[in-house]
Parts: sequence; structure tokens; C-alpha cells
Amino acid sequence: MKRALITGITGQDGSYLAELLLPKGYEVHGIKRRSSSFNTGRIDNILPDWHEREARLFLHFADLSDSTSLIKLLCQIQPDEIYHLGAQSHVRVSYEIPEYTGDVTALGTIRLLEAIRVVNFKTKFYQASSSEMFGTTPEYPQSETTPFRPSSPYACAKLYAHWMAVNYRESYGLFACNGILFNHESPRRGETFVSRKITRGVARIRAGLQEKLYMGNLDAKRDWGYTPEYVEAMWRMMQMERPDDFVVATGETHSVREFLETAFAYAGLDWEKYVEIDSRYFRPVEVDHLEGDASKAERILGWRPKVKFHDLVRLMVDSDTQLLEDQLSGQLARCASARD
Amino acid sequence: MPAALITGINGQDGSYLAEFLLAKGYRVVGTTPDRSSDQQLILHICDRIEIVETDLLGQESVEDLLRNSKPDEVYNLAARASSRDLWTQPVATGDLNGLTVARLLDGIRRIDPRIRFVQASSSEVFGNTAETPQTEATAFQPRNPYGAAKAYGHWITSVYRQHEGLFACSSILYNHESPRRKIDYVTRKISRAAALISLEEEKELRLGRLDARRDWGFAGDYVRAMWLMLQQALPDDYIVATGETHSVRDFCAAAFAHVGLDYRDFVLEDAADCRPPETGLLAGNPAKAHRVLGWKPAVGFQDLVRMMVDADLQTVRSGEIHVRHTLSKQSSGATNQEKTAMQENLS
Repeated sequence: MKRALITGITGQDGSYLAELLLPKGYEVHGIKRRSSSFNTGRIDNILPDWHEREARLFLHFADLSDSTSLIKLLCQIQPDEIYHLGAQSHVRVSYEIPEYTGDVTALGTIRLLEAIRVVNFKTKFYQASSSEMFGTTPEYPQSETTPFRPSSPYACAKLYAHWMAVNYRESYGLFACNGILFNHESPRRGETFVSRKITRGVARIRAGLQEKLYMGNLDAKRDWGYTPEYVEAMWRMMQMERPDDFVVATGETHSVREFLETAFAYAGLDWEKYVEIDSRYFRPVEVDHLEGDASKAERILGWRPKVKFHDLVRLMVDSDTQLLEDQLSGQLARCASARD
Repeated sequence: MPAALITGINGQDGSYLAEFLLAKGYRVVGTTPDRSSDQQLILHICDRIEIVETDLLGQESVEDLLRNSKPDEVYNLAARASSRDLWTQPVATGDLNGLTVARLLDGIRRIDPRIRFVQASSSEVFGNTAETPQTEATAFQPRNPYGAAKAYGHWITSVYRQHEGLFACSSILYNHESPRRKIDYVTRKISRAAALISLEEEKELRLGRLDARRDWGFAGDYVRAMWLMLQQALPDDYIVATGETHSVRDFCAAAFAHVGLDYRDFVLEDAADCRPPETGLLAGNPAKAHRVLGWKPAVGFQDLVRMMVDADLQTVRSGEIHVRHTLSKQSSGATNQEKTAMQENLS
């Protein structure tokens, strides 16, 4: 039985990845940070009962800012595959907490790579790289050979981690892959990310719980894909004979404005009546145009996205509508309270 | 009187920069990691500069430093930099060479956004690049943890320039040498060995690949380029290089010829000492620094080699270095050759 370790298992990508690996027969281990509030909401449905004998999903307390915890964990688990998804992952927030972002997102990756070097070289390593590393590059679509031009503390940290994974591959022979993932969304996307903010807003506006939706730059263009398909690409990279870096994207680009139009129209609403611009949501340096060229992933991994923009928006609106109905009807015992 | 803060003032570049700024009439504050660290290079100016001990590894210590030293200009030279440290302790390298850049810039943003900042970036950010010579537009491809950390420092500097409008520059410095280079760097190994062998204190020199090529300049010239960047109307990034490359073999030939010897009689190529992996040729195109800053190196390759050999001869003869046993000792202060070069710089 293969053993996988997922950092960031409580996040959007980690939860889908765990759901992908368990039916494939993996024993899945995840790292969670100590938190005084519940932070396992996205994986509660697959977390085993304590009494279950056949449990194959395990959570461990560890932290990317603590090398000792990582080394101990690797010794204990001895994973065949490590999926390193943990990060301070919010771009705009990274301008407020650059040191922390650098420490967790960049140095956290180095701590993990060093732990692998110290403990066991045989594990495979997946690094969650990001299209944000392309930043303000004038070139598009962006492929594996496009020069990076990061424009946020988050992107700088992700790029640093990316190069460290390349260094460990080239100099130590570590099986390390960088998946340069473009935006990937789902009903489990954090509520502060733009896609989810919109679909959640649409559901609440239609239910009469919210009157306005405050947005930042509507002209930013992104390549939006569906997360369950993107975690499939991660897994495929790790099954290759030789490690490599891959862009994972749909190849389609759409503006935030189009996302709004599509989401509101699907709910039978006119977006312009509800959306207001709030400059606080603008990023200090806007990344204008992200559009990925995933032809290498298609050629080598046989990976192709099926869910495209319009389907994605609709399934997210449907999900948020359903979630809200469940909350309102009291079906969710431990519902997330409306915070705004 | 303008004030400058130099992190890592006790290193090669820090000591040259301190001399340069003192001559320009600056009040100079410099950081060193602690009192036990090597202060040899700044002994001769220690009564004219303020030294602050700090490891620069916490936001609070960086902010205290900025508040107390009240600089107009910050030169961030502190780094884990020895050629042996490229791969050791990568987390520590990232913390100092990478995150401290963010700490300084974030501190400047809060305390006084008028402070001008220059980051000592490095040609190592280009690493495995296929493009030669490199310009400011060449894509980065760092090949070791040192280069990756410097690349982070470079990009975070540009983020603060665009994002907060800070006057923040990166100087992409190619190899820059001097008699103050530490002796684990290849240039100093050679100049020192040439001096010792000519005085019959040693018999041979073992080196890595002799055909490895570098763009070598004089450190005193390079700190002047950093200063010039901060005197411009607008902040920007600049390549600082000579635009010429020479092989390790060339360096050996020039150094031994200067003491009347043929390097082929003394230098052995030792495959075991070759550094992993080395592909790209790092050669800088300094055209932008020439055009915008009016900067040109004053010391050429041959002069640099001679300056380094002469300095090593002088220290060996004066008995300042007990050659065979104390490998870590540095020559102290400025030699006559260096002083001449610095004066040329200033004029």
C-alpha cells in the first residue's frame, strides 16, 4: 500500500487530493496546524471514526515553521509521495504579512526539502507552484518556459520554493515535480477568494440575505479551472518515470467581470444592480492576464480539463445555493455562520 | 550630513563601501552579526563608524535598527555568502539572504518611506541561464540555494518599488574580488598561493576546473555603482559587471607571471574539488550602468590580479599571516594598492 503525506490537507486542494488518493488504495497522512477553531471542515466527511479499524486517513499536528516537527513526521510516516500544498496562500493578504508569507511558503518548503534530505531520499515530492509567479509578465499564454515576474510577496515566496524544488531535483536527484497551477476553483474554495466570494454572494443576494457585493478590479483576467481535475494532474505527475514541471490550466481566460455576469445571470439576476467597487479589494500591483498553455501536461500526462468556465461557475453557484438552503433549513448542525 | 546604513559592514563589500561613504562625508552606521565575528576589515575605520550588533532575523530588531540609525540610504550587503555556503543550511541562507530583505523593506515602508534602499543582488540569480551575456531583462534560473534566496531578495525589492513606491534598487553584482576577499574564494586562493610559492612558503596549488570562466571585477568599483544607483532620480535595477570573462587558468597565469613564475609548474587541477553542477556562463552586460549611471570599472583584470598578489606578498612578508596554520586570518586595513584604486574611484 502506498503512503502519501499531504501538507495543507485541510485546504481546498488537499481535501480533493485526499478524496482522489483514498479510493486508489493509498494510506493518506495529513498535516494540520493547531488551531483553537475547527479547521478540518473540508475533510470531515472523509475523516474516519476513531473506532474504525480500517482507517486509512490520519491527521498529524505539525507546522511548516517547525523543522523538528517535519523531520519527526517523515521518520514516523515514511511516505512514498509527499504533496506539499501547505502555504499562506492569499495574494492580497501577503502584502500585509510578507515575512510570515516568506517564512511559511518559501522557508517552509526548504524545511520540508531538508527534512527529506536528512531522513529519506526515496520519497517523491510535489511542489504546488502557482501561476502567480508569472505575475506581470507581458507574455501569454504562459508555459513552462515563460520567464517569471512575480509581483506580490506571495508570488516571490512561491517562486523561491519552486526553484528550490528544481535545485533539489538537479543536484540531489530528488524526484521533485512543480505543478504550476493556474487558478482552480470549487465549492470548497475559501470564501475570501474572488470566485467563491462571487458565487456565495449570488446565493445570498438571491435569498435576500445580502444587498451588495463589494469587488476589486473587475478587469483582471484569469484562467479558471476545476480543482478536482487539477489534483488529478498532481497525482499523474507523481506517477511519471522522471520528475518534471508542468503548467496545469484550461487555456481559456476570462475576466472577473465575466465571472460576475455569468454567475448572476445563471441566478436570474443583473449583476450591475448589486456589485459595487471597493478600492480596498484592489491589489497593490495587479496581475492583468493569466492564461496557461497546458499542452505539455496534455502531451506527457494525458491530462485534459473537462470542466470549463461556464460549467464551473454554474456548479459553484448551485453548490452555494444548496449550502445556504441547508443552513437556513437547519440541516447543517454546525453551519458556518454568516460573517458579513 | 547624509547617513548610510550598511548591513554586513565587516565584509569585503561593506568595508569598501564604508570607506567610500566616509570619504563622501556620510555618517556611517553598520551592522555585524556579533562581536566575535571577524572585524579585521573595519579595524582601521572603527573609530569613524557606528557598529550595531544584530542578526537581522527579526522584524523588531530590523525596525529598532532603522529607527535608531535614522539612515537616508540603506545598503543591504549582509548575507551568508561564502562559496562553501551555497548548499549548507539553506533555511538559514533563506532567512538572512531572502527574508531579511523583506524585513528591511517593510520596516522602511513603516518608519520612513523616503529612505533609499539598494539590495546586493547577485549574478547567481541567472544560474543555469542559456543567455550570454546577461542583461537586466534576462530570465532568472538560480542553480543553488544561495542564488534562489538572492532571487527572492531581488523580486521582493521590485515588489516594494512597484507596490509602495519605495526608492528600492537591486544591483546585480557579478564576482567582485579584492585583497579583502576571504581565502576560500578561488581568486584569493590563487593570489595567496602565488605569493606563498614565490616566497617558497608553499609548493603547489590544487584547484577545481581551470577552464571555468567568470566575470571578475574589483569590489571597490562595485560599491561605487551601488552608491550611484541611489543618487538617480528614479529607482531601477542594474547589472554591475566588467563585461569581460576570464578563466581560472587566466587568473593563475596572470598571478604567477606577476611573481615571475609559470603557473603550469605549480597549479594542479583537482577534479574532486569541482563544484556541483555548473553549466551557464555568467557574464554580465553592464551597458545600462554605463549609460544611466555613468559607471565604468576603474580596475581591469590584470590590475586586479596584480593588486591581490601584491597585497598577499606584503602580508606574508610582514608576517601578518602565519601562512600554514591560520587559514582564517585576513589582511587588515587597506593596502597601498587598494588606497590608490579607491582614490581613483573617488576622483
